[in-house]
Amino acid sequence: MAVAASPGAPAEPSRARLPDASGFVERDGVRIAWERHGSGTPTILLMPTWSIFTSRHWKFQVPYLARHFRVVTFDGRGNGRSDRPTEPAAYADTEYVRDAAAVLDATDTDRALVVGMSMGGAFTLRFAVDEPDRTLGIVLIGPAVPVGDRPEGTPDVVPDVDFEEPQDPEADDGWGRYNAHFWRRDWPGFAEWFVGTRVFSEAHSTKHIEDGVGWALGTDADAMIAKRRAPRLRRPSDWPTPPSTEGRAIAFVRRVGCPALVIQGTDDRVIGIEVGRRLARELGAPIVEIEGGGHAPHLREPVLVNRLIAEFARSLAGPASVEP
Amino acid sequence: MTVEAASRAAGTADGGRARLPVRSGSAESSDGVRIAWEEFGSGDPTIVLLPSAPIIHSRQWKGQIHYLSRSWRVISFDGRGNGRSDHPTDPAAYHDDRFVEDIVTVLDATGTASAVLVGLCTDGVWRAIRLAAEHPERVLGIVAFAVGVPRLATPQPHYVAASAVFDEELPTSDGWAKYNRHHWRRDYPDFAEFFFSQMAIEPYSTKAIEDASGWACDGSVEAMLADAAAEFPFDRDGVEAIAQKVRCPMLLVHGTDDQCQLPARAERLAELTGAPLVLVEGAGHMIPARHPVLANLLIRDFVRGLAGTR
Repeated sequence: MAVAASPGAPAEPSRARLPDASGFVERDGVRIAWERHGSGTPTILLMPTWSIFTSRHWKFQVPYLARHFRVVTFDGRGNGRSDRPTEPAAYADTEYVRDAAAVLDATDTDRALVVGMSMGGAFTLRFAVDEPDRTLGIVLIGPAVPVGDRPEGTPDVVPDVDFEEPQDPEADDGWGRYNAHFWRRDWPGFAEWFVGTRVFSEAHSTKHIEDGVGWALGTDADAMIAKRRAPRLRRPSDWPTPPSTEGRAIAFVRRVGCPALVIQGTDDRVIGIEVGRRLARELGAPIVEIEGGGHAPHLREPVLVNRLIAEFARSLAGPASVEP
Repeated sequence: MTVEAASRAAGTADGGRARLPVRSGSAESSDGVRIAWEEFGSGDPTIVLLPSAPIIHSRQWKGQIHYLSRSWRVISFDGRGNGRSDHPTDPAAYHDDRFVEDIVTVLDATGTASAVLVGLCTDGVWRAIRLAAEHPERVLGIVAFAVGVPRLATPQPHYVAASAVFDEELPTSDGWAKYNRHHWRRDYPDFAEFFFSQMAIEPYSTKAIEDASGWACDGSVEAMLADAAAEFPFDRDGVEAIAQKVRCPMLLVHGTDDQCQLPARAERLAELTGAPLVLVEGAGHMIPARHPVLANLLIRDFVRGLAGTR
């Protein structure tokens, strides 16, 4: 007797868990695809990140967290099953915050623990400030939040002129590829370099790199250039001007009123660890530093990150523990 | 708070082992070679994880020990020629009989009257079959991965080709030409890395290859050469006669893309013994390392199934 067993199957059809509900919200003509998994309290909203990834970047979190909590995800505008507008204004961080609020409405979610990675950390921070009544807590993973020091050449310190004018791809240790001309010429080449050498710096990341480059190929240079040109972390006009040395995120960071947790790899090659440390200090939040970890610990150390998120979520659940 | 990621900790010698043994020791085999064993967990029956060739040692079972030992008593041991066991360099020390005796030596040293034997490739599978045929009272059942029973079907063609010129200086060291006495002496780590890239042929196997190449380098080229020089003492009829003596339950698990043992060997053993064969589509040689959940659940179900047969 021979029994066939198949340890692996094609990528997308083999999702470990299928959503219990899914749908679209539409805002200003842009359709946003969301999914809802599981039940339990609180709801956890897994924010989109930079449009180079789709919501599949939470593939290791959804099946675990949905066994204990209600989990909501959506594809950020620019990739996945959501639309890809080409106007920069459509990619403002405030648009992602409003998308998130619309998805919470569509899923009948009053409030959620919001988890964001990289640029998703900036969206999460902004959500906590703009929608404080809907934010139970925030988890920021490798957060692209411009506070404190960061490695030379990383996205948030690339001046607009370096992005818009042709560059030597090898400039700034390869960050010359972070450039509109390079993206138009060779978006897959940028994706392979960025995902393969900057995001996943750990050994034995071949599957993660293949997944990540695959997600990156779901968008294109036009959408990504529009995203780069979009407004981000613009202070409302009635806020006082902070000292210029503190970075434009500080004014937002100091307005966060909910519990927070920062998770970051010490070998994060996109957002330096000093950013996470400074952010945690400013938030009065604990930081879990993953020794030798890279920019995407939720993918490379999923068990650890899942347990941290679950533990944090449980600490928010009791009425007595909601206080910061 | 700083945490060290588990996957990196596991790479540091034995510091990152998911589970440490409750007891360990070293037993002297019939020819004086010392065999290092470890014991984990408790619960009946005992499961013995057998060594494979001296290119690897008992850490090959790292994906099984911590799971199985939550339910059962688990014994593993380093085969002669690698790990903490002795590394004899006389081909006589690698005679087929010695490997069978080593299993008995470890069963006796650990006070194990009988056990389920789990093995991979020839050194695991064939010796388990011999023990079950010759001392049926010691073997409750066999789970055989990458069914390495010599003679039952032809070897992989690349072994046939490489073995024919194993002692010759070759003009190339590309591919299977690395399977060569002179290349082993010149650059054994290069051979080991190539070899395990073939054994773990599945995509995304970099960690399995790195682990196994490291374990290879815990052994010695001289032990490998001595093992390679040992003659296999049975012809096909002899092998089939022994296999047909096995009366205990047996489960065969084989990858369709196994670069060490052709599936035909597993299919022939299934015909001879009536044992069920699980063919794992697309899997290579190292199923327990590359598909640990599948391997663990197959072992679990097999062991649970034995309860009804005893």
